[in-house]
Order: sequence, then structure tokens, then C-alpha cells
Amino acid sequence: MDAVVKKIIMEVKKGDQQAFAELVDLYKDKVYQISYRMLGNVHEAQDVAQEAFLRAYTNLDSYDMNRKFSTWLFRIATNLSIDRIRKKKPDFHLDDPVGGTEDLNYYSQIAADEELPEDKVVQYEMQEWIQNEISELPPKYRSAIILKYLEDLSLKEIGEILNLPVATVKTRIHRGREALRKRLRNS
Amino acid sequence: MACEKTKTDLLHKYLDEEMTLLEKKQFEQHLMGCEDCEKHLRELRKTIAIVQSTSHVEAPPDFTAGVMSRLPQQSKSNKWKT
Repeated sequence: MDAVVKKIIMEVKKGDQQAFAELVDLYKDKVYQISYRMLGNVHEAQDVAQEAFLRAYTNLDSYDMNRKFSTWLFRIATNLSIDRIRKKKPDFHLDDPVGGTEDLNYYSQIAADEELPEDKVVQYEMQEWIQNEISELPPKYRSAIILKYLEDLSLKEIGEILNLPVATVKTRIHRGREALRKRLRNS
Repeated sequence: MACEKTKTDLLHKYLDEEMTLLEKKQFEQHLMGCEDCEKHLRELRKTIAIVQSTSHVEAPPDFTAGVMSRLPQQSKSNKWKT
């Protein structure tokens, strides 16, 4: 795997722009998943994930070939996602109560345009709910939890991606787990 | 809540299997008699299971094409660089 990746990178560096498409295909799902779980929105996720690949392309000369390419790429994606979160204005949530009403939230204002089978609805709502809970975490815990539990990365790798010592990564995972536990325990 | 604050750290250490055999035995002994810590541990395990149950998302089908179309134009000199 690593040899293949190195070979592609060498080709790109030599000027074969098309070879970069192979690199995108190899990592697009993981990069997209990181951005999506960080931002909780498909449009922003696509935007940030594509931007991550563009940055990787334009900065390829600064990538150290002795290190893992995915670590470098995930770092770009994580940083861009965090930047995006910081720039976001505090916007309204679908869960927020509609002004002047007691128990209407914005979900109830969306007209269902198609009937989904019951089990699909339950599954969809479950996924929505988990993503919402992840999105409520402070970004620094969110990134650690996503890299650990959704990308299945080692603490060492997470440390390299987030540019943190392993001990700090552990603390963030612990705090992230605690915060989620408090929110999820009554579910 | 764990019975004491110090126990929360131990719970996480236990969960991550970072204890020595002796620490592990001692902590398991504690868990047997402490309802708070036992409940806390159960909640943490459930939390992790919930997080891991999120389905893996995939990039949209036009993703690669989108990136490629946004790459900077190559100059001729670059194209022939070896």
C-alpha cells in the first residue's frame, strides 16, 4: 500500500497531474468521513474534503515522504474542518424551539415529502441523533473521538494528526467520552 | 458518576486496558462492591458502542472529478518536467 502511494506521489511530483486522481480515489472516503463527522453537514463536508485534497496537491513538495501520507492528509482535513467550525456563525439548530411556541421544534416544520418505511425512518433518525450528539462536542474532543472510534486510528497516529502528545490525546478521548456519556446515558 | 473523582481516571484506564494485572485486579474488586462505578463503566461502554454504530459515510460519486477540475492549470514547462 505505502509503496503504491509513494509511486503515485512521485508521478504527481514529476508533473503527471492525472496521477493525483488515483490518490484522491484512495483516500476520498476517509477524508470525507472526517469532514462530515466534524461538520455534520454534507455540503460543507464535500467542500472541506475537496479543499483538503487541493491543499495536499499544492503543498505536495512540503510532504515528507518518510512519513505516512494519510497522516499528513488527515491533518490537513482536520485543520480545515476546525477552521470552518470557528468561522461558522452560531446558527439555529433544527432542535431549537420555534419562537412563540411551546413544544414545536424545526423538525415539525419540515413537511415530509416522501413516505419512508418504518425501519428506514428509525435507522435514519438514529444516525441523525448520533451525529447531533457528536456535533455537540467541543471541536477538540470531537476530532479525537472521530479519529479514534470512526477512523480506528492508533493514539500515536491521532497524536501526529492533531500535533499533540499521546498523553493529551488520551485526555481528550476521556473527556469526549465523558461528555457523550452524560448526554447519552438516558437514551 | 464514579464514587470519587480519582476513580473516573481509573475507569478510563480500565476501559482502555492500560492497567497492570495488579491494578486491574484491584479495580475489579472495587467494581464488584461499588454500584456507582459499575454503572459509570456500563454507560461508558454503551456510549462507545453508540458512537461506533454510526455508519461509514462515503464521498459523493463526483468527488474525484470535482477535485481534479479544481486543480491549478499546469503550465507546459511543468508538463514536460522529468
